[in-house]
Amino acid sequence: MTTLWDTTGSAVVKELAAQRRTGGAVLSGVALTLVVVADESRVTEAEEAATHAAEMHPCRVLIVVRRQIDAPVPRLDAEVQIGGRLGPGEAVVMRMYGRLALHAESVVLPLLAADAPVVTWWHGVPPERIATDALGVLADRRITDSSLTEDPPATLRVRAEDYAPGDSDLAWTRSTAWRAVLASTLDSVSGRRSDAVQVHGGRIEGDPGNATAQLLAGWISSRCGCSVDVVPGSRDPGPSGVEAVTLRLDQDEQLEVRADHRGGAVISQPYRPDSTLALPERVLGDLLSEELRRLDPDEPYSEALEAATGLRGLSDRPAVREHVWFDPAAETDVVTS
Amino acid sequence: MIPNPLRDPRDRRLPRVPEPCALVVFGITGDLARKKLLPAVYDLANRGLLPTNFALLGFARRDWGDTEFAELARDAARKHARTPWREEVWERLATTVRFVQGSFDDDNAFDELAGHLAELEGSHGIGGNAAFYLSIPPAMFPVVLKQMQRTGMADSTSDRWRRVVVEKPFGTDLESSRELNALVDSVFTADDVFRIDHYLGKETVQNLMALRFANTLFEPIWNGHNVDSVQITMAEDVGIGGRAGFYEKTGAARDVLQNHLLQLLALTAMEEPVEFSAEEIRTEKLKVLRAISLPEDLETFAVRGQYEQGWLAGQRACGYRQEEGVDPESTTETFAAVRLGVETRRWAGVPFYLRTGKRLPRRVTEIALVFKRAPHLPFADTDTEELGNNQLVVRVQPDEGVTLKFGSKVPGSVMEVRDVSMDFLYGEQFTESSPEAYERLLLDVLLGDATLFPRNAEVEASWAVIDPLEEFWQGTKPHSYRAGEWGPRAADEMLAAEGRRWRRP
Repeated sequence: MTTLWDTTGSAVVKELAAQRRTGGAVLSGVALTLVVVADESRVTEAEEAATHAAEMHPCRVLIVVRRQIDAPVPRLDAEVQIGGRLGPGEAVVMRMYGRLALHAESVVLPLLAADAPVVTWWHGVPPERIATDALGVLADRRITDSSLTEDPPATLRVRAEDYAPGDSDLAWTRSTAWRAVLASTLDSVSGRRSDAVQVHGGRIEGDPGNATAQLLAGWISSRCGCSVDVVPGSRDPGPSGVEAVTLRLDQDEQLEVRADHRGGAVISQPYRPDSTLALPERVLGDLLSEELRRLDPDEPYSEALEAATGLRGLSDRPAVREHVWFDPAAETDVVTS
Repeated sequence: MIPNPLRDPRDRRLPRVPEPCALVVFGITGDLARKKLLPAVYDLANRGLLPTNFALLGFARRDWGDTEFAELARDAARKHARTPWREEVWERLATTVRFVQGSFDDDNAFDELAGHLAELEGSHGIGGNAAFYLSIPPAMFPVVLKQMQRTGMADSTSDRWRRVVVEKPFGTDLESSRELNALVDSVFTADDVFRIDHYLGKETVQNLMALRFANTLFEPIWNGHNVDSVQITMAEDVGIGGRAGFYEKTGAARDVLQNHLLQLLALTAMEEPVEFSAEEIRTEKLKVLRAISLPEDLETFAVRGQYEQGWLAGQRACGYRQEEGVDPESTTETFAAVRLGVETRRWAGVPFYLRTGKRLPRRVTEIALVFKRAPHLPFADTDTEELGNNQLVVRVQPDEGVTLKFGSKVPGSVMEVRDVSMDFLYGEQFTESSPEAYERLLLDVLLGDATLFPRNAEVEASWAVIDPLEEFWQGTKPHSYRAGEWGPRAADEMLAAEGRRWRRP
């Protein structure tokens, strides 16, 4: 590991190359570059998650921490790691001070792995318009986390308004385990009937203010064409915001999946005894790793987001954004450049 | 599959989860079940890949209660699991575990087993689906299969499936494998029989198909015009362990060559399947296996060996004949190397050198395509003295990945070309978290996906290759090699006879 104080982007590029030469072949072959944008307070968490994800997907990790935008002199501190604390691959943690923070892409661009996809992940409050962050514009896939904002349902709306194919949200990723259980439970109902099942309605007990619960409801209604309400549950539902899901089926049947608060869920379905199955809360690194598995636009997400927010035509939008210059220090809000 | 509104082909995040079912393991107290199967079941549960309604039944001779069995299963799963241990996952799984005690010729025990299964249909909602894993010596197969037939456990109907999983060895020669296949097929329908060759569950083996058929780069040179020879090696550094009884009767050719190596050969040499489906891939593999030809001069091109005492990895290793339970005059081979041909337009004239052995210097499995030398080199002879053949190596284990070996200029003021290698390495870090071969294969059985399982015709075609070799070797003595060497000298001479040499893996 080398730490470079008050340095430049080219020095970082050189140092990375130097370490690669002396460090031996720790990792050869890179599938993607992961750009992580984090606040200083969340940087440890983000590093841990990125390390976890890098163990599954060979990638170059670039962590950007923007600090003190009002600092008078721009400055870059960088920590270059190969095969160390930040996973098996190459990693650079960069702290950017002053106006440099608004031009982070000037440091990041030369560090991107050649011709490999770029994924940008904001671990913190994401920009309202991704187009205003050049680190998002240059990415092939953009990951936000609506659960980190004050009002997640409102954030979902912002995300939907700003959506472009290739956007994703960790709040959506948190619903995967629930979605898998629901789909396989429905499989077992239709297996018993030897006939297709229709879902006429559903209800989610949990936290209506949770983005995951809202997206799960949106997903069920987009798949089944019925309305799904999120109603407050009786207990603290945990990060996924879901305590129980009830689906009303045709033939007057009903199925329910309820979290048992011990890392499992109890499944109740007609004509079958209740069964339990693992439904653990997943760590951030797991979620990120799932995101990196596929880099094409996630249509089921955009449809769930449409249903959760009532906006339409999300997947018809262009996948490429134009960078919009935005200066948080300036009086005028947004000026197109 | 019945349509499910929540399933969307574009939704690649949702895992493939089997229908509600039971897994019945015969020989649950055996080594394989403890080290591989039980941990694989736990790992599947931990990854959320088991169906909502699932039950595990163990059948063995040992006199055990459910609790003792649960204890053993827990220890085994905990010791060998690849995913982190979570007690609550195991506890849930443990509620579905049953143990049935009995010997295989005991009608009562099988009636009890059938009763348990029927009971589970109601109590665990497994819907009558069950997979039977025969983790038992092949000699026991007839008894167990007949019992299953008698109790009607093996019948798939329209509303339930019954599948059987068979481990290698699939017989000891063509005739016995035909008998075995006929026996298994008389009890189960051919589509419900899954023959496990765990090599095919390995990530890199599946990657071989991606490498060949998803890229434009390699396929044009993947033929006899460009390839000089192919070397497939599977080396083990261990001896026979405690398996003397089994190994004495089997030997390296039947144990490894017949299944793993010929399957790797088939995947390397096969034509592009029409689609990536079980049926099409098996069809292409079968064509290759049927096109395999044996050398006329078996004396030179079919070598077998047996290890003598020696030093391996800094430790003294005893010879095969000195191993416990081995006949001091044994002529069983622990090393086999053979030169095969594949008589197709693509491969005619390209030798496929296969070798396998125990007590070789290191554990390694790889497939190496050795390319022809450039027809003309515009350099002076002295410039290219160190240039060898270009090679493309698929490393199956360990260090899973791909290596490309080619010539490059030595930095300096003179023109000198030497071999360098370019590596793609999955690295232990990446494959650690990918599913273990048994986990993947077990899931495929429960899902009914037969892509990675050889069909009986493939097994028979493989025996048709091995039988003449065994016949030739009958009554001869294997060449000897010291433990810790890359096989007997005759194996090196086999390649030297054609001006080639083994790659050191």
